Amino acid sequence: MDKKLGVYVCSGCGIGECVDPERLAAIATDEYHVSVVRTSPAFCLEDVQLIRDDVAREGVDAVVVAACSPRVKTDVFSFPSASVERVNLREQVAWSHPPGEEETQSLAGDSLRMGITRAQKTRLPTPYTEANERSVLVIGGGVAGMTAALGAARAGVRAILVEKTPRLGGFAARLWRQIPTRPPYRELEEPGVGALISEVASEPGIETLTGAEVQRISGQPGRFEVTIRRDGELTSATVGAIVLATGWRPFEAPALERYGLGGSPNVITNVTLEEMARTGTLNRPSDGKTVKTVAIVQCDGAGDEANIQYSGSVSSLVSLKHAMYVRERCPDAVVYVTYRDMQTPGPFEYFYKSVQEDPGVLFTRGNVTQVSEDGTGGLVVELADSPLGGGVRLAVDLVVLATGMAPVPPDSEGLGLEYLQGKGLPLSKYGFADSNFLCFPYETRRTGIYSAGCVRKPMDLAAAARDGSAAALKAIQVIEKSSAGAAVHPRVGDLSYPSFFLQNCTMCGRCSQECPFGAIELTPGKNTPFVLTNRCRRCGTCMGACPVQIISFDDHSVDMVASMIKAVEIPEGDEEKPRILVLACENDAYPALDMAGIDRLQLPASLRIIPVRCLGSVNAITAVDAFSRGFDGVLLLGCRSGDDYQCHFIRGSELLATRMQNVRETLNRLMLEPERAKVMDVEISGFDRLPERLDEFVAQIKGLGLNPMKGF
Amino acid sequence: MAELVGATTATAVPIQPDLIQPDLAFKRKILGLGAADLGSCYQCGTCSVVCPISTPDDPFPRKEMLWVQWGMRDRALGDPAVWLCHQCATCSAYCPRDAKPANVMAALRDYSIAHYAVPSFMGKAATEPKYLPLLFAVPIVILLVILAWLGHLAALPDGQIVFSKFMPTSSVEALFVAATLLSVAAGAAGGVRYWRAMRCQMDTSGRGLAPALVPTAWAILRHQRFGECAARWPGARETYKGHLHRTHLAVFYGFLGLVVTTVSVGIGIYVFGYLTPWPLWHPVKILGNASGLVLVAAVAVFGYRRIADGGRAGKSTYSDWLFLGLLLLTTLLGYLSELFRLAELPGLAYPVYFVHLVFVFVLIVYLPYSKFAHVVYRTVAMLHAASAVAAPGAGPGSEGGTQVRHPLLRGEEGDGGALT
Repeated sequence: MDKKLGVYVCSGCGIGECVDPERLAAIATDEYHVSVVRTSPAFCLEDVQLIRDDVAREGVDAVVVAACSPRVKTDVFSFPSASVERVNLREQVAWSHPPGEEETQSLAGDSLRMGITRAQKTRLPTPYTEANERSVLVIGGGVAGMTAALGAARAGVRAILVEKTPRLGGFAARLWRQIPTRPPYRELEEPGVGALISEVASEPGIETLTGAEVQRISGQPGRFEVTIRRDGELTSATVGAIVLATGWRPFEAPALERYGLGGSPNVITNVTLEEMARTGTLNRPSDGKTVKTVAIVQCDGAGDEANIQYSGSVSSLVSLKHAMYVRERCPDAVVYVTYRDMQTPGPFEYFYKSVQEDPGVLFTRGNVTQVSEDGTGGLVVELADSPLGGGVRLAVDLVVLATGMAPVPPDSEGLGLEYLQGKGLPLSKYGFADSNFLCFPYETRRTGIYSAGCVRKPMDLAAAARDGSAAALKAIQVIEKSSAGAAVHPRVGDLSYPSFFLQNCTMCGRCSQECPFGAIELTPGKNTPFVLTNRCRRCGTCMGACPVQIISFDDHSVDMVASMIKAVEIPEGDEEKPRILVLACENDAYPALDMAGIDRLQLPASLRIIPVRCLGSVNAITAVDAFSRGFDGVLLLGCRSGDDYQCHFIRGSELLATRMQNVRETLNRLMLEPERAKVMDVEISGFDRLPERLDEFVAQIKGLGLNPMKGF
Repeated sequence: MAELVGATTATAVPIQPDLIQPDLAFKRKILGLGAADLGSCYQCGTCSVVCPISTPDDPFPRKEMLWVQWGMRDRALGDPAVWLCHQCATCSAYCPRDAKPANVMAALRDYSIAHYAVPSFMGKAATEPKYLPLLFAVPIVILLVILAWLGHLAALPDGQIVFSKFMPTSSVEALFVAATLLSVAAGAAGGVRYWRAMRCQMDTSGRGLAPALVPTAWAILRHQRFGECAARWPGARETYKGHLHRTHLAVFYGFLGLVVTTVSVGIGIYVFGYLTPWPLWHPVKILGNASGLVLVAAVAVFGYRRIADGGRAGKSTYSDWLFLGLLLLTTLLGYLSELFRLAELPGLAYPVYFVHLVFVFVLIVYLPYSKFAHVVYRTVAMLHAASAVAAPGAGPGSEGGTQVRHPLLRGEEGDGGALT
């Protein structure tokens, strides 16, 4: 190893009172023969200059700072041309363990050993910077799409706007009025889509292609090759990022038939009412009689679960708007609105109140149990569970059902992705683009493709416009990052990417299958993997998946973790000193451990913690390595998997859970108890319960006894 | 939710659920009677929870809010709770949407008075300002006719001021006994109509009027419900009606004192031949003057609070001001005529006495149609409530009916603790 290490042991923030920094410095000098080893009462203050001088004059190119958590002071401990390893002596040692005890000192020593080992193995990554096309493809010419195109163009990024139909406007062009967007939030407004269309037309940075469809998309962020079909002709374009704004379709499941939809012509959906309001008068479909009484049924009660999935507050707001349509056209009309929940968030509460002020609009909670014809063309709505009484009936001319807004599946719109994993976007079970909804709402599982507007979730026009702007910003971000070879969410700025030692590849293709983002393709004919760098989110799931461990990052590899495991000193035969390897996900689990320290909660001293990019990056061999090295237990701390997953890389923790089956089988073969290896869901907000859960695991391991393979 | 109105619809099990036919004219009328914010109600039920006298099986004003929103006129008209409410306005103080339920209850009372008026045109006459001159013209004409018949129109009586010289006691008595009988008959007719409506809308089984009489009278004399309204839990929000218990007590006993005075004077004249004017030191005279003072002061407080609290309470209605104005002016004119008599100013004393009589007539005869009619309808509603079989679950704190103490109060005072 031709690296020159510098090890800097800090004794500030209580580290010096808890452990002996000189003994730690001695580890670096004596065990690892590091020539530059320094201590300081506070390296983050003026003493940081000592490190800078060593880098500049002594040729130190791998700095090991044994001080605070790697999550803090990254700007202070940053040195050009040198790699930086952080050994977490503050949050995860001094602040969370009893001072002056031998086990605490031992933990600090092992942490330093692992840090030095890591520093020896790491390399500064060379970024991939060859994809730098600065333009955006926007699919869908509705409000979200047009706003996204305008946002991008005005920020200096050329936009290609593709609309399937002959004209722009989307559903907004079919609206009569829209819900209020401005204070005092009382009056219905013109949809204003005409103005937006002319803005798009007069914006030189936007190339609009109507009557066109995207046929094929290949490549990666920074260089997507797109084929567009228009009037039977194919044209191609290169874009840096893609915004998907294909909008919605009314949800018309058989579930709404119980309200008479399809049975009586006088039972219509809110989409039909919108059409009636825009194109003519509100007459009863069966006989053309002017509508005097209308029941607007919110369709959000028991039995409407399917519809509720696609409703949200926008359905409530549209029902309020439709009540106003009826009342505006007929001063003596009566509108009944039945609901389980009226959702009118934020300033829309004022809109709700203003509609309530109209004496002709009557609201009640309740369940519509039956809609039947009265024999004279009218309908009778039976209502149960309302505060009006046990059961009541309403005689009406028209029943309007508030249908949900289902996303237009990108598949059917022919996104045509040339990805090994499939032509469409991976979808959630509800048909929306799969993404970590809380943290990264616009992301999809195809990096560089962002969803916006009603294809993402049901929303009103103002929200769709906001969504368009936001997705445009995300598109610009991915263009900027891609051109610098850096990752986007959640490892923003990470320059490393996976590389493959292809001589040993068995061509099993598992890396390409397990990548949550479809970043790995296989060379045709040879079946060897290669990565499209800018599709990669750097989670390392491929590294964890590879059965022959040929995938590594410059600064993270299976070999590196194995070496760190080897660096830990394993006490032999002491029942009170078990050693447990903790592989902690950097997104939630590792910060949770830090927060426990910040709150001065006590953590077990037998844990040896290695941060990992995602549990998905943990290779099964790592756990087996740990046991053969003499660790008594292995704990994998990561995010929740399943339908309501919290994994920042979507599938990492789920994939690991599958791999753990193999690990447990291996343990059985080695005559070890399978419960020595455990996966634990940790969320950052659960840091306060974490010490207790860790103590439980340690106690369980102590109960099992020491690893019999110790010392072999 | 079914129990909310389940108790009120139990008259018969309908083969089909009730068909609701909203009476929007009724709704608009109530909106115009000072309840303009009614629409904001979204049926959260906070009003009934905080109401000190509402009960779990009769949650007012929540159900009234819904009935008015949905134009369910008959339900609202046959509802005892409209009058059981004593307008402490706690509901308005707590309403999260500022729908002012207290104003809706007040508007319903206004509407009920006009609705149950016998004869019905009087209901209209007493609630519309344009008919006010007509209302006053009636007693003016009657009194002028009497004076003309007596020949007192040409000149005022000479010598010491004695009102009976101007308007003989017999004439006054004849006129006002007749007026009172008329008023009582009309009031009773209205009360009976209201009672019948309640019987249509409410469960009537097992009700007996007789056992309810004494507890109701006692409750009125003690101002029991006003007391319950005023007794609130620690930290409760202030309402603009915090003064109501005390002020109404003063008005009530001030007015009662004047009634006792009037009856005593009548007995004095006809039984003992003790003619008016009586000296100022006479106990009955002292009672009358003191009662009048209490009445004037309390009515002045009511009027002041209506103006001062206008922002929070909402706009006071014509009927509010008519009633307060009549009470105040009638009493003040009585005092003025007494003062002018004592000051020996016949040119002022006799005309003012004349106007005073006009006001007394208006007050008595139009009682069943003005806000004064609350003495009839509130009493009927209280009788109705007191005549009901005690509901299961009514605690030891309940008195003469379904009254269950407010849970918040019960916690403070202990079970059955006396609050009044």
